[in-house]
Amino acid sequence: MANPVDPALTSSVSASQPPAPEMQPAVQQPPQGASASKPAKQQPPKQPAKGKDGAAAAPAASGDGAALTPAELKKKAKAEKAARRARERAERDTTGGGAPGGPGGQHAASAKKGASGPGGAGGKDSAAAAQQKGQKQQPRRGSAQATPQVGAAELKKKQEEKNVSVFGHLYGQQRRTTIAGAGKEVHPAVLALGLQMRDYVVCGSSARCVATLLAFKRVIEAYTTPLGTSLARHLTTHLSHQITYLSTCRPLSISQGNAIRALKLAISSIDPSVPEATAKSSLCDFIDSFIREKITVADQVIAGSAAQKIQDGDVIVTFAGSSIVKQTLLTAHKQGKQFRVSIIDSRPLFEGKNLARTLANAGLDVQYSLMNGISHAIKDATKVFLGAHAMTSNGRLYSRVGTALVAMSAKERAGGVEVPVIVCCETVKFTDRVALDSIVVNEIADADELVTIEPVQQLTGLPDPAAPAPAETKKGGKAAASAPVESSTASQSTASPLEDWKESANLQLLNIMYDVTPAEYVDMVVTEMGSLPPSAVPIVHRMSTNL
Amino acid sequence: MPSNSVALTPGLASFLKSLKTNPIDTSIDDLISLLKRRQIRHSRSCATATAYLMRSVISATRTSDANKLIERVQYVGRRVMAAQPREMVVGNIVRRVLGLIRDEAEDDREGDFTLSEAGSESQPQTPRALDDPSEVLSYRHDGSDRSSSRQPFTSVSATPISMFSLLSHPEPETSLPGTPASASPSGRLLGHSHNKDIRAEVLDGINEIIDELGQVDDQIAAYALEHIHSNEIILTHTSSTTVQKFLLKAAAKRKFTVIHAESYPNNHEATHATVSGQAPKDDDMLSTEAFQKPLIALGITVILIPDSAVFALMSRVNKVILGTHSVLANGGLVAAAGTRVIARAAKVHQTPVVVVSGVYKLSPVYPFDFDSLIEYGDVSKVIGYEDGDLVDQIDVQNPLYDYVPAELVDLYITNLGGHAPSYLYRIVSDHYRKEDIIV
Repeated sequence: MANPVDPALTSSVSASQPPAPEMQPAVQQPPQGASASKPAKQQPPKQPAKGKDGAAAAPAASGDGAALTPAELKKKAKAEKAARRARERAERDTTGGGAPGGPGGQHAASAKKGASGPGGAGGKDSAAAAQQKGQKQQPRRGSAQATPQVGAAELKKKQEEKNVSVFGHLYGQQRRTTIAGAGKEVHPAVLALGLQMRDYVVCGSSARCVATLLAFKRVIEAYTTPLGTSLARHLTTHLSHQITYLSTCRPLSISQGNAIRALKLAISSIDPSVPEATAKSSLCDFIDSFIREKITVADQVIAGSAAQKIQDGDVIVTFAGSSIVKQTLLTAHKQGKQFRVSIIDSRPLFEGKNLARTLANAGLDVQYSLMNGISHAIKDATKVFLGAHAMTSNGRLYSRVGTALVAMSAKERAGGVEVPVIVCCETVKFTDRVALDSIVVNEIADADELVTIEPVQQLTGLPDPAAPAPAETKKGGKAAASAPVESSTASQSTASPLEDWKESANLQLLNIMYDVTPAEYVDMVVTEMGSLPPSAVPIVHRMSTNL
Repeated sequence: MPSNSVALTPGLASFLKSLKTNPIDTSIDDLISLLKRRQIRHSRSCATATAYLMRSVISATRTSDANKLIERVQYVGRRVMAAQPREMVVGNIVRRVLGLIRDEAEDDREGDFTLSEAGSESQPQTPRALDDPSEVLSYRHDGSDRSSSRQPFTSVSATPISMFSLLSHPEPETSLPGTPASASPSGRLLGHSHNKDIRAEVLDGINEIIDELGQVDDQIAAYALEHIHSNEIILTHTSSTTVQKFLLKAAAKRKFTVIHAESYPNNHEATHATVSGQAPKDDDMLSTEAFQKPLIALGITVILIPDSAVFALMSRVNKVILGTHSVLANGGLVAAAGTRVIARAAKVHQTPVVVVSGVYKLSPVYPFDFDSLIEYGDVSKVIGYEDGDLVDQIDVQNPLYDYVPAELVDLYITNLGGHAPSYLYRIVSDHYRKEDIIV
C-alpha cells in the first residue's frame, strides 16, 4: 500500500533528483540505467533485442562523440537507427495498443478522444496511430519490418499462452520498460514518475496520487497554451498524454483516477476569459489544496481517530506496508500507549519490511512474519488495522493481495472470538465501481517478479555490472575481470527452477496485485469524515464527488 | 551426484546405508541425532528410518520373550520419539511395531490354545461370568497363570498392570468377540518357551510396514479418478509427493487445471522445482520421484501463485487438495504453515477440502495443546542476512506447521480409501493398540 506520503515526496518527483532516501528500500531496480540490463525479459514482445540495443546504445553514443573509429561510427549509426525504429514501434504500441485494464481504462480512452479533437502538433501523430489501430496494424515502412512482425505475432501468441485465462481481461499491454517511445509532449517529471511507479519506487495508492498531482503541477507550470485554442480546452488534451503515458507504466490507481477527474473538472471550469498565468496559478493552488485536503490533512485526521481505537495492551495485526496504518501506529505510540504490532508480509514486494523497520526505529514492539504465519500472528491479536487501495461501492475493501486472508483469519478465528478489523482509508480512495470478487478488478504485475526469490537489490552499491562493463573492457583488465565474476555470482544466487518458465509449456505464473475483501470482514472504515461501516462507502463517495 | 557425497551428507540414505554395518546402539544414537538435527525431516523419511531401525533392533535382540521384546522396543521408541516429538510418525511406527509384537504374542497364545486346550472350549465363558472388575481387568496379564493354575489372582503377574489397562477394555481390539480366542480367558505368558519364531513374524510385519511406506502414495493415487474430474480447477499447496502423484494419476485420464500456491518461505524452492519439473538436487527423498514427470508435461495447466493470492482465486477453485505432516485422531491435521488459511478460505467459499495422507501419518494423539505441535523454523528465510539490523530490532517468526481443525476438512483420502474426518478415530483404533498409545 503506501510508501510515505509526505511533503518530502515533492523532491522525488523531479526528473533529475534521486528518490527521497526513505523510499530507497522499495527500489526493486534502479529506474534509469539498470532498465537496460533487465528488460530483455520485460521488453514488450514487439520489440525484442533491438529495443534494448537502442536504449543501451543511445546514451553511450551521445557520451563519447570525440574520437570514433569508422567501425564505431557505423555501429553508432546502426544503433541510432535501431533506436529510432524501436521508438516508432513503441509509440505505435502505446497509442494504438489500447488501454490496459483496470482504472486506467477510462483515462486512456479519454486520451484518445482528446487526441482526435483539435489536435496540437503531437496530438495528430497519436491520433493517426489510434485510427490505424482500427485497421489491421499496417507496417509503416514496408518490407523492412515485415519479418519482425511475423516474429512478434508468434511472440505475442506465446505471451498469451502464459496469461491465466480467468484474468484474461486484465492483461492489457505489458508495462513500459523504457522511456523510449514516449510522446514528445510528455513532461520530463512525468517521464521520471512513470518509471518510478513502474519500479514500485513510488508505490501505494496515496503516494502515487500525490506524486502524480505534483508532477502535473509541474506540467501545468511549464504549459503554454498554443495559439488558436483556449487553456481550458487544450490543457485537458495535454494532460491526457501524460496520463496515457503514466498508465502504460502502471495502471492508474483509483485515487489517481479520482484526483485526475477532479483536476480535469477544475480545468474545464476555468473561465476562458481568465488570463493564462492566473489560470495556471489557480490550478496549481487547486492541486496543492487537493493534496492537503484529501490526503495530507486527511491522513492526520484518520491517524488521530484510528489511534484512539488503540488501547494499552493491544496486539495490532497489520498487513504489508500501509502509510496510513504506519502513521496511526506512530501516533498512538507518541500518545504513550503500550501495544504490540504484528506485521504480516508477503511476496514479492515485501512492503511490510519498511513498515517494520520504521516502527522498530520508533521504539515499538514489532513482530514480523510472512503469509505462512497468519494463523499464528492472529492468535493473540486484539485488533487488525488494514490500509486500502480503494473501497468499492458495495463496501468491499480492495487492497494489496493477501489482505483478504488476514481479514478472514481475524473473523474466523478458532476460539470463536472475532477480532475487530479496522480499515484506514481516505475518501479519495472511494470509487463507484463494484466488485464481487478479486477477478473483476485487479492489476496483473509482471510474473517475473515471482521468479527471483529475493528482490534483486544491489548490496554493494556498485554500479550495475551489466551496464558499464562493455565500455570499460578495453581500458582496464581488472574491471573487466571483476564484472563477470560479480554477474555470475548474481545469476547463481537468483538461479531458480522457474528461470525458464516461459519456455515450459502449460506453466503459468500469476502475480496479481490486489484482492477484494468481503464487506462482512470489515467492521469499520476510518475516514477523514469519520468512522463508518463499509456500507456507507457509496454515500460518502457521492457526497464527496457532488460537492 | 557422486555416490560419495551421498554418503557424506547425513540423511535418510546415509542412515539406511550405515544401518547394515553399524552396531545397533550406534544406529539408534545415529537416528536420534539425525532427527534432532532435522537431517531427516519429512514424514515419510522419518517413518522409513524408524521402521528400518526397528527392524534392526528386533533382529538384534536375542530374545524370544515377547515381554522383553516389547520392553526393548519401548525403550528405543521412547528415545527416538523424544528426539523429535513433533515428527509424530516416528511414534506411529513404534506403536505399530509394538502392536505387531503384541498381536504375534497373542496369536501364539491363540495357536497354543487351539493346540493344547482344544478340548476345553466349553469352559471359556466361566471367568467372564465373574463380574468382578478386577478380575476382568487383570485377566489378560495374569491369564497365563490362570491357564495353568486357574487361580484368579497371582501376585507375580498382577503387579505390572499398567495404568492403561485400567482404562482399556479387557478384550483386545483386534480379536473378534465370539471366537474362542477372545472369549477364552486362557492367555498365555507372552513369549512362552515354545513361541520361538515370534521375532521372525514381527520382522515380517515390519517389512510389510516398510512396503506400505513405499507404496502408500500409489495406493492413494488410485482413488484420484474418483475425485478429480474434467475441467476442474484444483488448488494445492507445498510440494507434497503424495499430492503430486494423486494429481498425476488423474492427469493421465483427464484434463484439469492446477493452481499451486508456492508456500514461501519454507517450501517454495521444492514447489518451484515440482511445478517446473526440475528435480530438486539435494533431496534425500526416494530417487524414483526424481524421474517423475511434472504435471505440465501431461498437458495440465499449472498456475503458480504466491500464497497471498489464495483468497483472490478461491472463488474459481473447485477443490482444494492438501498434503499433510501428520493427522490426529480427532480429524485435525498438522500441515505446512499456511495450510490453515487456505483451508479456511476454502470453507468460506464452500470449496471442498480434500486431504491426502498415508495411514502411517495418522497419529493416536489428541491435540489438547496446539502450540506444542508447532515447530518454528529458520528466521533467516523470512528476513535474510542483508537485513540483519532488522532482526535485532524486531521479533521475526517462521512457523513451519499449522494446526488445521477437523471442521475445515471435508474428506480424508488414505491408502484405505476416503473417510470423513469424524471417522478417523476408528482407523486409529484399528491400527494402534490402546496399551501403546503412550509408549
